[in-house]
Amino acid sequence: MLENLVFLLVVLPVLSAIALLCIKSVGLGKLVVTLTGVILAACSLALFAGGDFQFRPQSVLGVDPDSLITFLDFALLAVIMGIAAKLKSPLLIALALLQILPLGYFEFSLVKHAAAGPTLVADNLSLIMVLIVSIVGSLICIYGLGYMKEHEEHLHLAKTRQPRFFFFLLLFLGAMNGLVLSNSLAWVYFFWEVTTICSFALIGHDRTEIAKANAVRALWMNMLGGVAFVLALIAVYKASGTVLLSDLLAHPGGGASLALLAALFLLCFAGFTKAAQLPFQSWLCGAMVAPTPVSALLHSSTMVKAGVYLILRLAPAYAGTSLSSLIALFGAFTFLTTAGLAVSQSNGKKILAYSTIGNLGVIIACAGINTQASISAGVMLLIFHAISKALLFLCVGAIEQRIGSRDIEDMRGLIAVMPRTATLTVIGILTMLLPPFGVLLTKWMTIESAMASPLLVLILALGSALSVVFWARWAGLILSAPMPASAPAAEAQDASIRVPIQILAYGAILAGLASPLIYSSLAEPFVSLFYKGAAYDVSGGSFVNGVGAFSIYPLFLLLGAGFFYALRLARRIPAQAASAPYLCGEQTADVTQNVFRGPLGPVAATSSNFYLEAIFGEEVLTRWINVIAMTMLAVMFGGIL
Amino acid sequence: MSLTDWINKGRLKSPWVVHFDCGSCNGCDIEVLACLTPLYDIERFGILNIGNPKHADVLVVTGTVNHRNKTVLKNIYDQMPGPKAVIAIGACGLSGGVFREAYNVVGGVDKVIPVDVYVPGCPAKPESIIDGVVKALEVVKAKLGLA
Amino acid sequence: MTSKFLFALVLVVAAPFVGGLITGIDRKITARLQSRFGPPILQPFYDVLKLLGKDRMVVNLWQALCPVVYLVSSALCVFLFGLQHDLLLIFFVLTVGSVFLVMGAMAAPSPYSQIGAQRELLQMLAYEPLLILVFVSFSMVTGSFKIADVYAYGKPLLPQLPLMFIVLGYVLTIKLRKSPFDISACHHAHQEIVRGVLTEYSGPGLALIEIAHWFDVVLVLGLCSLFWSTSWLGVAILLACTYFLELVIDNITARMTWRWMLKNALGVGLALSVLNIVWQSFNN
Repeated sequence: MLENLVFLLVVLPVLSAIALLCIKSVGLGKLVVTLTGVILAACSLALFAGGDFQFRPQSVLGVDPDSLITFLDFALLAVIMGIAAKLKSPLLIALALLQILPLGYFEFSLVKHAAAGPTLVADNLSLIMVLIVSIVGSLICIYGLGYMKEHEEHLHLAKTRQPRFFFFLLLFLGAMNGLVLSNSLAWVYFFWEVTTICSFALIGHDRTEIAKANAVRALWMNMLGGVAFVLALIAVYKASGTVLLSDLLAHPGGGASLALLAALFLLCFAGFTKAAQLPFQSWLCGAMVAPTPVSALLHSSTMVKAGVYLILRLAPAYAGTSLSSLIALFGAFTFLTTAGLAVSQSNGKKILAYSTIGNLGVIIACAGINTQASISAGVMLLIFHAISKALLFLCVGAIEQRIGSRDIEDMRGLIAVMPRTATLTVIGILTMLLPPFGVLLTKWMTIESAMASPLLVLILALGSALSVVFWARWAGLILSAPMPASAPAAEAQDASIRVPIQILAYGAILAGLASPLIYSSLAEPFVSLFYKGAAYDVSGGSFVNGVGAFSIYPLFLLLGAGFFYALRLARRIPAQAASAPYLCGEQTADVTQNVFRGPLGPVAATSSNFYLEAIFGEEVLTRWINVIAMTMLAVMFGGIL
Repeated sequence: MSLTDWINKGRLKSPWVVHFDCGSCNGCDIEVLACLTPLYDIERFGILNIGNPKHADVLVVTGTVNHRNKTVLKNIYDQMPGPKAVIAIGACGLSGGVFREAYNVVGGVDKVIPVDVYVPGCPAKPESIIDGVVKALEVVKAKLGLA
Repeated sequence: MTSKFLFALVLVVAAPFVGGLITGIDRKITARLQSRFGPPILQPFYDVLKLLGKDRMVVNLWQALCPVVYLVSSALCVFLFGLQHDLLLIFFVLTVGSVFLVMGAMAAPSPYSQIGAQRELLQMLAYEPLLILVFVSFSMVTGSFKIADVYAYGKPLLPQLPLMFIVLGYVLTIKLRKSPFDISACHHAHQEIVRGVLTEYSGPGLALIEIAHWFDVVLVLGLCSLFWSTSWLGVAILLACTYFLELVIDNITARMTWRWMLKNALGVGLALSVLNIVWQSFNN
């Protein structure tokens, strides 16, 4: 039963993906994608219900899994080498070689026999990731069906390229499931590289010059991580004679040997590149040229989460070392600087990209702080952020298709143009920003768990304050439409776009409401595997421990009641109460227009946000924060020696 | 006392002013602003020069009103939520003063918006202006049916 | 537990009256400092009552909705304070109100409202990290973020955290909308960009914002009182001196720019916080 579930979760998407390349009919293709999504979601729930497990599959489709993966590893690297050669890029060729040669050494000289333990292990962290990948991922794929149809009409494509698109999306889903369920680092490496290639293929999907350039940038930065991963494989094997995560984690803590610490650093480095932390953030920002489902799925909810998943998973192994403290500082620094960079951005997807990198930085900081409270916070932020950020990306994608722009200045007054989507976008923003929703809850948990290190708290506090700036102004300007004379027309939107957005919006709110339950059923069991004692007592519907308390149900009740009362009050305002904005008496007679009587004729009054480019602009900040980040990485590495 | 009684008390004790110069020579404006200084201190009566019609209760107008700013005057008056009162200050505000016959002058605030109190003078003295505000409160009282 | 709950309820009911009185006394003393007589002490209540009676005038429904949420969240903060709850939680609930105030202002397209909202966000940027650092300094001394533990600590915090009190003073100045940090809207009638973030709010909405402001005043003064939590007399003297100092500073300074505020409130505040926290870590 278990084996079948895992098969369905990992291999079925691959088979569906291959099938899509062969299917000609559009309708049948849609059916395959939808069915695969539904099956994945159902299986993930069934797998979760089954609880922790570990086993060693004997064969996959008749082949020994270890050999299959080794073969596919080299095949994949050969493909990458081919891409590198076609692009005539010495950097890519060098990085590919730097993976092929050590991998060859590892597989054929170093490893004497196949790993003896279970190669597929699931604890709550893996199961949470499977749930996120399968449910959120499936919703995004279904959204992609409607989105890509419109996208291709917009580009006036003669021949549809959707089969290729969904091939890589489904392949990616299978690879992610495999990645989080794998116990053998060699298997993790394989799935890791599959996600890299999927990302490369999907970023470059539209085949514009900028897409191709950004795809290459994503490729080599992720390959840097791949190189680190292979070297880590060798180091781990040399240090402990095993590449099984369960064995590594069975001996947690500081007495780790030099080789093992170096391996942990290299694995974390791979995680940093995958999660687009500084100084690698440019690949994620560049990846925003891809169609929105790609941004939502790979570059906010799942692929980049693979990086932080690995760092969280390894946290018990480096607990108590100086590496851990430096990782915490590194994550917090990324959070602060990307929050600042987001303040300077008016491109909606870039704001979301920087916010994603920042939140991943918070998860990494949680992993670095390495206490039961902080790891709980990290795991929960993983969940809440995946839902809210996917929601926001899907909304921005739908908005972009409707108004033709992703600049937030063009989204002023969107609530009159696209009432439902605009409302759900504002809901998404508020779930990222305000209590009692989950993202804020985990921010609170992180700050409280960091209290032993005031420097960390300072950085987190500054980052948090900066994030209020760019979220609040975006939410506000979406709402700036005049009072409608009559009820606005229902927004016309394809069901496959509308339904995933609605499900994610309700999901984000419900997840916030259910946060005590999420903690006790999802996070706490995982944390208690490796850390002594429960972080919080959630029995009263609040998160309480010796250091602080966060009431969930009372806050939801009171703030929710206040909000709904306010909404009722506001809805009853008559149309006569509408007045033009104050323009010093020079407004024109039409109260719905923001136009004033200028000396030569009517002038539209416009204003824009303060972007503070002189302080937070990319040109201003990027160089020196990259230098600082690289210095931190160097210190991390040197600190091990 | 009911809530309405309390609110009426508040209305009489807290008249916020927005001051608009409709082409005045600034003589009356200086006298209006003098009322805010420690010598006359109209904040004793709860009067604040709030400057935003959406927050104000009393519109204090100086100047003759001309064809360019009559629309502005009307707009500012319209953007004040009720209950509200208007005070026209100075000879110019009453009837156009010495500029009444000029081609660009409308000639008096009451040709554009309804005026409740007229404060004569050229310029009007701060004492007269304060008297005018007190009278405006009487007018408001009457409008509210409390007189 | 129930006694704390009752106390918190009493506090929530009393806070607007106390806050309004403090605001009235504020205006009276400010007037006296300016050689004037000033309004009666009950003036803020008359103002709010008058505003409640004004006709509704809004650009869209957000100017009516957001003040209610702002009021609810500010009242909730005072309630949580009365319950001696978690300081960091109170801080985050406070941001709900501030964010809704900004959203309501941004929802009106008037340039004054928009610029006022941007400045309000920058004000929040200036005081939020400082407030979190004040709470962290508390946690370094008392061992937790809960207010109950400040009272349980048994000794006044001011001798150990003098610089943090100055930092809290910056937060108080910004929250009270007093010069030199009254950048998005002044609590007096001083205008710069008309009424800044408050421009498009009017009538009942503005009344609710004023009442929420009173709750905020009570909350921040309550936070100041935590620095001398051991004696009521000490609290009274501390708060009186602090508030009077705020009034003096308000009267002798002019409104500055947001750049100046970021450098001088956030910058200096961070420096003072780092210094005090480092000192404290030597003690620990």
